[in-house]
Amino acid sequence: MKRLLLGLLLASPVLVFAQGSVVNTQNQKIVGMAGAGSALFIDEASMVYSPGALAKMDHNAVQVGGNAIMFRSAFQEVGSMDTYRTRSQASTPFAAYATYAPDGAFWRAGLAVYTPFGGGVDWGNNWPGRYELNELSLRAIFIQPTVSFKITDQFSVGGGFIYNVGTVELGRVLPAFNADGSPSTARLTGTGTGTGYTLGAHYHLENEFAFSVTYRSKVVTSLNDGDAEFRVPQSIAGNFPNTKFSSELPLPSSLSVGIAFPVAEKIKMAVDGSIINYNIYEQLAFEYESDRIPNTVSEKNYQKSYTARVGVNYQAKEKLALRAGVGYIRTPVRENFVSPETPDNNRYVLSAGVTYDITPKWELNAAYAFQHILPRTTTNTAINLQGRYETYVHAPGVSVSYKW
Amino acid sequence: MKKIFNIYTSAFFGLFFVASCSPSLDEFEVRNTSTADFNKYIAIGNSLTAGFADGGLYLSGQQVAFPNLIAAQMQSVGGGTFTSPFFNANQANGSGYLRLDSLVNGRPVTAPVTDNLAIRGLNPNNQPLYTKYEGPEINNYGVPGMRLDLAFAPGVGSPLGNPYFERLLGDNDVQTTYFGYTIVRQHTFFSFWLGNNDVLGYAMNGAVGGTATTTLTDAAVFSALYNRYIDSLTTNDRKGVIATIPDVTSIPFFTTVTQPQLAAAVTEGTRGTPLETDNVLIQTKTGIRLATPEDLFFLTFPRERIEKEGLGIDPRNPIPDNMVLDRDEVAEVLARVQQYNNVIRQVAERRDLALVDVHAFLAQARTGFIYNGIPFSSSFITGNAFSLDGIHLTPIGNAVIANLFIDEINRKYNATIPRVDVTRYRGVQLPNHN
Repeated sequence: MKRLLLGLLLASPVLVFAQGSVVNTQNQKIVGMAGAGSALFIDEASMVYSPGALAKMDHNAVQVGGNAIMFRSAFQEVGSMDTYRTRSQASTPFAAYATYAPDGAFWRAGLAVYTPFGGGVDWGNNWPGRYELNELSLRAIFIQPTVSFKITDQFSVGGGFIYNVGTVELGRVLPAFNADGSPSTARLTGTGTGTGYTLGAHYHLENEFAFSVTYRSKVVTSLNDGDAEFRVPQSIAGNFPNTKFSSELPLPSSLSVGIAFPVAEKIKMAVDGSIINYNIYEQLAFEYESDRIPNTVSEKNYQKSYTARVGVNYQAKEKLALRAGVGYIRTPVRENFVSPETPDNNRYVLSAGVTYDITPKWELNAAYAFQHILPRTTTNTAINLQGRYETYVHAPGVSVSYKW
Repeated sequence: MKKIFNIYTSAFFGLFFVASCSPSLDEFEVRNTSTADFNKYIAIGNSLTAGFADGGLYLSGQQVAFPNLIAAQMQSVGGGTFTSPFFNANQANGSGYLRLDSLVNGRPVTAPVTDNLAIRGLNPNNQPLYTKYEGPEINNYGVPGMRLDLAFAPGVGSPLGNPYFERLLGDNDVQTTYFGYTIVRQHTFFSFWLGNNDVLGYAMNGAVGGTATTTLTDAAVFSALYNRYIDSLTTNDRKGVIATIPDVTSIPFFTTVTQPQLAAAVTEGTRGTPLETDNVLIQTKTGIRLATPEDLFFLTFPRERIEKEGLGIDPRNPIPDNMVLDRDEVAEVLARVQQYNNVIRQVAERRDLALVDVHAFLAQARTGFIYNGIPFSSSFITGNAFSLDGIHLTPIGNAVIANLFIDEINRKYNATIPRVDVTRYRGVQLPNHN
């Protein structure tokens, strides 16, 4: 029977902060332009999108905002008529910012707390991929003190220290069958922390042409003391003790550049591009404290991801700005490594957004982004599941800023 | 300006509305291109076709027999009603079967299920007879123990013959042959998977023939009968699917109890005695000799008799010929399987039928593979493919075999039978106590 116990955990869990869980919704203005606008918008959220630009703000501000992100994935096994969909659920990344500088200072400091990665899928208990994953919720919260300096009036730099708190919760079934024929279950939950940094520079000309470059380091999040819980038939329970596990979840580094320029009196355009170094996901290892649960290593083999985004901002009225954008994101997930956690593929983004200045001090932002992750037929190397995935992501969001 | 704003807001909400549904993914297309007619599908075969599992025929095994899974999938492509000779719910345990009672030091211990049986009485040889099937005409003609040679033998359906065939027949029909019984069903499509028992019965008796169920069917006889059967089923250009015979020596019944294990038991049992030895003696057709790892022992081997009776230790008490398939017999059996499969392939070619190469598929299972996350191999219990008798399939095994058949039917006849979701089925149930 020993071999059963080794065979059961063959497939390693799919804990990756992958493209599918990149939400990138820290600023509703930028969400409204499909992710473009890092060079264009100079406000408290620049701490995330362009830390170099922060020093150019001419006021203090606090902002809170959030999104309701809904991943709606569908799966169809090759040759099957049945389509399975993820249950409707929303994950809620948030962002909060506060920034301060004395009047006329050449520097500005701030604190950003935000959720750059986070997502949840729930495929339910009866879909063909359940031996890899039933449900997953994954979230990274970054706490980032930031400081930015003007070198000249037009050129400024900035940087921040990132402290990450990551949480993960994952459920799947195991091929050991109960008396009623149902499979066993495994649940992994854990919290980890990690650190990193971000650096950026921002440059603009009098005619409002602006340029931004931002680098965010990788953030290696160590998950120690995670809980692994197994529900198996009593007769093999001795081989499946509930135990602790540890793993490392690296968040990839990224380099982003953005330009912004006027195209008409009230219309500005922004173009952004980035490289996300997902190639750090070569493999993923899990170590269990109990030696009865074999450690696992699984190949991930990700490649770099690239994004391109274009948006326009239209100052319709003094107090009202409208915007829209389109974007394209190339998947980091190679053909046979697509997993139900993030059934990833190249994707398009469409978005619209609005800013309304309620008073000179209060600003309201709203945006809606829609992502279409293109259909992809793959054979998953971990469990040999052959099928086709397609995903829509809906991300409406709002934020409120107070300026003084 | 207001107008632009209105256009903009309606576009915004329009986008939200259009996109708020989830993807549809209706890739699967039912095409009306099938050159086969699935309206009346009949399944001809042995225990595998009947859904026999865990050493018995019982309702929940019958329900997941691979032809039943195929028939359910055929519903969307013109398949008709598919009736099986199910045991009644109050006699759901049918012939009785084995369940896993416990794991003692990791070793499985089985126990028979003896309630809610469908035994109506005993025949003159004190063998059980089962409650007769009463109901509409059936489509699943799988009869546990059926062999190709016996399919043409009259009297197999009598109370002295095969009780699973007997329960299907009316009292006046017991002299009908299985062949005669099955070919008159006006089917439009058939699956035919007979022949395993023509070699398995012999192998499971240690290659000692002598009775109708343990004899090894001659290859020429096999060829003649197989051709005759398929010719009858394919009259009027009717289509069907046939399957090769797996390597019967690779199933857990023959691979779980090994010579090194028995040798260890001997070492244990003879320690400190004058007979101290470290291997078992077996009786072969050419004499008594020490066992080798190439000799195959049965899953049911009574290990305790080594220590208790000196079985296999004392040269006067070797393991008898009918309790071991020695390496020469393995070679004989494998050669015969190959001869049968050559016949089957030729027939498929000649009659232009879909051919499922189960032999090739289960050869892969020797080393094992992962099927949608489920380890699938010929290992006992842990391999998920074979039930507690080490010979017949689990529900997972049936689902995998059903997909093999579906794939070949679809390929051969340009059909679009949807595949079965294997992950909905179970392997061996493990006891929920220590």
